[in-house]
Amino acid sequence: MFKIGRLCLKIAGRDAGLKCLVVEVIDDNYVLIDGQTRRRKCNIKHLEPLDKVLKVKKGVSHSDVLKELRKEGVEVKEKIKRKKKAMPKIEEKPKAKETVKKQEIPKPKKQEKPELKKEIPAAKPKKADKKTKAKPKKTSAKKAEKKTVKKAKPVKAKKTVKKPKK
Amino acid sequence: MPEGRYKSRSLRRVYTKLPGSKVVVHYKKRKPSKAVCAQCGALLKGVPRERPYKMQNMAKTKKRPSRPYGGFLCSKCMRAKLKEKISKPGKNV
Repeated sequence: MFKIGRLCLKIAGRDAGLKCLVVEVIDDNYVLIDGQTRRRKCNIKHLEPLDKVLKVKKGVSHSDVLKELRKEGVEVKEKIKRKKKAMPKIEEKPKAKETVKKQEIPKPKKQEKPELKKEIPAAKPKKADKKTKAKPKKTSAKKAEKKTVKKAKPVKAKKTVKKPKK
Repeated sequence: MPEGRYKSRSLRRVYTKLPGSKVVVHYKKRKPSKAVCAQCGALLKGVPRERPYKMQNMAKTKKRPSRPYGGFLCSKCMRAKLKEKISKPGKNV
């Protein structure tokens, strides 16, 4: 009944309902299977034979078994081993801290809440205009974390105003 | 005499001994009944019987066996159902 190449359905176990091929006959009771299930020995009582018998050699490799099954129209998903992704380097946060520290020192004149906001944009053009132009979004995002988003937006406008003055 | 609401049989009585060597009745809620196969009515294995607040916090794999129809059909009925699918004409397995 269970010859090499016989298409069966697995009835028992957590992979029940999956199709497999008989690859090798081990015993009266045991059989090597492969296909949608993992390659392992299985009891005959846990298999239900289907009508088809495929032409396959004894001890077929896993990839060949999958090819044969795809010809018959059985979908097989191959498991891909996931590689651990390298953690992305975080370079932005230390730069933000540097900007905050340097900004506070030069301008202690303004004594309102917008002081900090005004100081931050004021100090930035001193460092380098390129940086502010190149990374306006990142800095504003960082500021948003520290302060509310609404406050960050007017800060940008103030920056542009101050630059021509200086 | 206990209060009227404690006389209900939906609560179970547990006699507990306090640190001062005094015995006292504590009333506890009962657990739900065991799960049963949807077709044959046999008791299902691998399904815990706990009150809802405990079941909510358990992982899904701990509440049922990890095979198709686990927690719904017993293993016998599940095998019979899979065999039926093959023998049915006109249906693609």
